[in-house]
Order: sequence, then C-alpha cells, then structure tokens
Amino acid sequence: MTAQDKEKRAINRLESMRPLRAKVNETYLKSVEAIQSGKPAVWGMLNFYYGDPILKAMDIEVVYPENYGAIAAAMGVAQQYLDRADAEGFPTHLCGYSLTTLGYASRMMKELGGEIPPEAPLGGMPKPLFLMSSAAICDARYKWFQALGRYMDAPVWTLEAPTPGVKEFFMEGYYDAMVTLGVKHLRDFVAFVETMVGRKMDWDRLDRITNLMIEVNRVWHEVNELRKVKPCPMHSRDFWSAMPAALFLAGDLEDSLRLYQDMYREVKARVDSGIGAVPEEKYRLVFAELPPWHSLAFFDKLAERGWSFVVESFGYRPPIPIDPDVMAVSDPLERITRFSLQFFAGYYEDARQQKVLGGAFAYPYLKYAREWKCDGAMLHPLISCRSASTHLPYVADMLMEKLKVPSLSIEGDIVDLRLFNTEDALARAEPFEETMDHYRMVRQQEGLDW
Amino acid sequence: MYFAGIDVGSTMTKAVLTNEGGELLSAVKGPTGPEHRRLANEVMRGALEQAGLQIDDISYIVATGYGRVNVPFADRQVTELSCHARGVFSLFPGVKTAIDIGGQDVKCMKINGGRLIGFVMNDKCAAGTGRFLEATAATLGIRLEDMGDIASKATKRVQISNLCTIFAQQEVVALLSRGEPLENIVAGLHIALASRVAALAQRLVIEPDLALTGGVAMNTGMVRAMRESLGRDVLVPEEPLLTGALGAAIIANEAYREAAEDGTLPTGTRRLEEATFFAEEDL
Ligand code: SF4
Repeated sequence: MTAQDKEKRAINRLESMRPLRAKVNETYLKSVEAIQSGKPAVWGMLNFYYGDPILKAMDIEVVYPENYGAIAAAMGVAQQYLDRADAEGFPTHLCGYSLTTLGYASRMMKELGGEIPPEAPLGGMPKPLFLMSSAAICDARYKWFQALGRYMDAPVWTLEAPTPGVKEFFMEGYYDAMVTLGVKHLRDFVAFVETMVGRKMDWDRLDRITNLMIEVNRVWHEVNELRKVKPCPMHSRDFWSAMPAALFLAGDLEDSLRLYQDMYREVKARVDSGIGAVPEEKYRLVFAELPPWHSLAFFDKLAERGWSFVVESFGYRPPIPIDPDVMAVSDPLERITRFSLQFFAGYYEDARQQKVLGGAFAYPYLKYAREWKCDGAMLHPLISCRSASTHLPYVADMLMEKLKVPSLSIEGDIVDLRLFNTEDALARAEPFEETMDHYRMVRQQEGLDW
Repeated sequence: MYFAGIDVGSTMTKAVLTNEGGELLSAVKGPTGPEHRRLANEVMRGALEQAGLQIDDISYIVATGYGRVNVPFADRQVTELSCHARGVFSLFPGVKTAIDIGGQDVKCMKINGGRLIGFVMNDKCAAGTGRFLEATAATLGIRLEDMGDIASKATKRVQISNLCTIFAQQEVVALLSRGEPLENIVAGLHIALASRVAALAQRLVIEPDLALTGGVAMNTGMVRAMRESLGRDVLVPEEPLLTGALGAAIIANEAYREAAEDGTLPTGTRRLEEATFFAEEDL
C-alpha cells in the first residue's frame, strides 16, 4: 500500500458528502454569473439563519467572505491577500478571515479597478450590491464589513443578534422581547433589500424557503445525532465539508434537503452495519472551534492513529430542533426569528437551567463529551480570534472537573498557515493518547459510562 | 539482557544502557549538531563501549526526542513526554509534576505512577526555554555554565521586562551600558525565565513532589529561581539531562517483555554502522 492509499483510507469519507461539498463551488459560480447577467450579488456574513432566507426569497446570490477566507486558505492562495492587508496597514492581530478578504478587496478595487482577481479561487467574489453583516459573535465583524463596504463602495446592513452568556440573556421575558425586536428588525431589513433591488418581497416564496431552511437543518441535526454511535459513522471532516448548505443555505434548498436525506441514509446504513469513519476507532474526540482549514490532512494523520472526531463546536452546528408549537406562527419573519434564536438559546439550555452565566460556553461541550462519549477534546485556540479562543481554557477545566475528559490544546490559525505546525501538533497528539487512556480508567472508577 | 534508551534532543543527544533490573550501566551525552543520525550512532557506540557491550547484546532500543525518527537502529520511537514521565518517576517515585526545560522547549507534565496524565508545552516561541539563557549569555559574553555562580553573587535582581529573547538581548546590553552589575542582570534573567515557566506550569494544577529536569536544571541559579517563582521545593536529579533517555530505556525493557509475550520481538541484526553513512546513502 502506498502512503497515498493509506492517507486515502485513513478516514472513510461519505459519498453523500461530495455533492453537498460541491454546493459551495456552485454558490460562487452562480454569484459571478448573476453579476454577468445583471442580477444582484451580496456579500454576507455568517448570520445564523437570520438574513439568509430573506436574500434567498429575493433571488439574490450571496457569497460569504469568512467562508471565502477559509477556501482561500485551503487552496493555498490566502497568503498574498494577507500580505496585501498587511501592506494596507491592517494590524496582524485581526482574524485571518477578515485580513484575507480585506486583502482581496484591496487587490480587486485598488489594483484591478473592480475586476475579480484572476488567481481568485472558485471564480472569485464579484462586486456586491450591498453587504449584509451580523453582530453575532465578535466585534471584529462590525468593523471588518464596514471596511469591506468602503473598498466596495457599497452599503452595509448589520443584523442585530442576541449575546448569549450575559445576565440579560437569562432574564424573565427575554425570549419574547427578542422575538419582538427580531421581527421588527427583519421587517426593516426586508424594506432595505426591496429598495436596493427595486423589487417587492414574494412572501409566499419566503414562507416556503423558511420551512425548507428549518427542515434542512432538522435533517442535518438528525445526521449528527447518528454520530453518537460507536464506532462513529461520520468524521468531522465530512461535517465541515457538508455544513455550508445548512449553515449558509448554500445552493438550492430543495436540492440540499434531498442531499442531506441521502446523507442520513448513508450514515444510518453505516450505523446498522457497524462501519466507522475511522476503521479502527480507538479514541473519540470533540473538536473545539474552527479547524485549520489549510491543514485538514492533519486529521487523516490522526485517523491513522485511530482518532475519530465525532462532534465539533456548536458555533456552526444546526440548532437543536425546536418544539413545533413554538414554530406554529404564520408570519415567516417570526418563524425565522424563533429559529435563529433557537440557535443561540438551545445550546445554552443546560447552562440556563443551572443559572450559569459567564461559563455558559462550556455547557454545550459538556453535553457533547457526555452524549458522544468522547475520550478527549482537541482545542484549537486561534491566535487572531478571541471569540474562538478565550473560553477554551475554561472549557478544558470544566471537561476535566465534571467529566474527567482531558483536552489537548494546539494553537494555530484558520487562515495563516505559518501559525499551525502539523509536525509539532502530531508530536503532541501521540503522548496525549497516554493521557486519554488514563482518564478512561478514571471515568470508569468514577462510574461514568464511557 | 540489556536495554537502551537514546534521546536526540535539539541541543544534546543522550544514550543510556540498563540491565534487566533497570540498573544504569552507562550514560553518554554529545552535542546533537545537524547530523542527527550520525551523532545518534556515535553516542550509542560510546555508551556501548562504556558498558563493555556490543550492539547485538542489546535486546531492545527505544529512541525519543525530537530527532527520534533519525535513529535507524531503534526498535521503537516514543515521544519525549512519555519518556520523561517514566524517567523522572523512576528517579523520584513520589513525583506528581515535572518541568523539563530544554534548549528549545519547555514541557510541564502531570505524572501518575509514571504515566503522563496531562501536559502543557511552550507554543511557537523560545522565550521560556534554555535558548533564552543561551542567547543572553552570549550577549553578556559569559559561559552558559557559569551563569548560576554569577547569579549567586547578586545583591539585587534587575527586572528584565522583555520575555522575547531578541528584545531581552537588547535590554541586557542597555542595562550593562547603564552600569548595572553583571551578577544582578544575570539573576534577573533567571527570574524572568523562571516566572515565565512557572506561569506555563500553573496551567496544570501543580502537585508535589515536583521535579525539574532538562539541561537548564544543571544551572543552580535556575533551580533557585524556579523554587522562588513556584513557591515550593523542586527535586533535581543528579543528571537532569538524562531523564528522557533513562525513561526510554525503561520503556524499552517493558516493550521487550510485551513483544516477547506477543511473539513480535524484533528480528534481524542491528547495523549500527549503517547509520554512519546515511548522508552518502541519501545522495
Ligand atoms: S469570530 Fe473570530 S474568526 Fe470570526 S470574524 Fe470574529 S474574529 Fe474573525
């Protein structure tokens, strides 16, 4: 067996993942085509289902700079954009996603007069009609899109979002207040989009799209529930490849629904016949936060050692399905708001019940480690992203304190490959097996069932 | 039966031979240099000579350290973290925490019965490692091995604010030109390094006994500074550099027994010579 064959087989990838992965490419190609045929295209930010269905209903193609940053990193072309952002004077401690796309915007607008850079992967991101930003998760997002908007000479709309883990989030009546505010905010957004494109919203279409979005994410959630089984039938690599169609609503939603259903069938068949994503699964791990997109083959090397990544951060997983009664409202904007709120609220339900404020971020990981029966956690603090990093030492402490699950922390970056050293990471992974073995014994002694 | 552990570190290569009962028969150290495999071979030959043994007398060899893959005569490669944990436990059976400060890395380990149950290491930067002292010693024009004695004469410790090795070098030059006595600067350098390492170690819950190993533990000034920064006693082996190689030899002994039970003992003759000509082979 050649080394190449070995690498190919280290993770038993799902066939049904491939068409879902291709959806991302389709999105970029469609956005370029849209511009060429005089249709609008928009630059969007991960907004947790809030603005995406509205743009879809208005037949607007959307590309996502943060996703594009990851693609540029994975395709090895991010460095020139990072260098360009550096030359423009953006501080290097800004996150890799923002720097890559700021560099891209600068190259496109200042160097090429608005033409898509010829080296841009997947046909590039065309000049947008406007930008849709989101206040969720981090402060860099406001300023980053503002700066992109200036390069592109296009307006920016920022979608507000709740901030989990703060006192107000747990107050009586917050939910209803958030729904009221969210719906009002979406109405304003619809009016803004209508003005920008000079067309009216097709509310029946929005209704259908909203239902499809919810159903796509429900099926995607069910796929991931199947991963609790030992051996785990699906690796995080397949998760990351397949997630954009549910997370960004990339591509046609009816088609995505069919593809996720296909994936469910394939994963279920593996469960029924006891087939694991890693042929000899020795260790089950949860991956915390964003992976090193430029070095994903690293996970194949770990798979050769029997490491299976069975669950990953809640930051990009589908919302836990919501009670149908809560969704039984006729206004699609209210259904959208409730669905998006479920993303923010659902994962913190355990923390809310235990009245935990600041430490709420650790609770989804506790649930994962317990229900997906993890032997360890791999934490990937990002040098340039506080939102994805500062809570990780606390997550590690809580996993150890409550569940005796050890963590391995490997610093890196989502885009800047100079900050992630595969060899070094592998050298740490090997001794970590001894630690995972030890705590497996400790858990048994303490009556934990994995 | 005899067992060998060989630790190819970033600065020094160390080889240890033991007998079946774990008794130390010989130990040899040499600078690693750029040609790992050639040096591993020479250090191993030195250890064999010291013990009056031939390579074929050795039942099992474990290689460790960052250059472990470049030891073609080893039966198995084991990471330095596991070997250090085993080695330090054999020296101090009550050890629960160990800190190993090497030339280019620092490892803080939690140990339970010789097993590694947790660890943290420095990330991406040599600021908390032996390299910090090595570079600043060169700037000060003193020998690394004299730093501990020099620091012991200090009347006060100068605060070194830069942990970055490069900036610390500039800072000590400025301090010297300001007329600060050498011994006070050197004492300040030790404390700067020790507090950086202590901060890293605090990420694990430090439990006694605590041992300090690695080349930097040979420096008495650093041992004093570590005791002060951690606010507790630290145990130091007589030969702090050999801990990893010793652990590798202990693991070799265990691995041999396991392999004998499973019928997977290494076969064929070991060719120590082969490694000597690797450069030509690779051409
Ligand atoms: S969350 Fe992190 S990676 Fe995402 S935009 Fe903010 S700083 Fe960048």
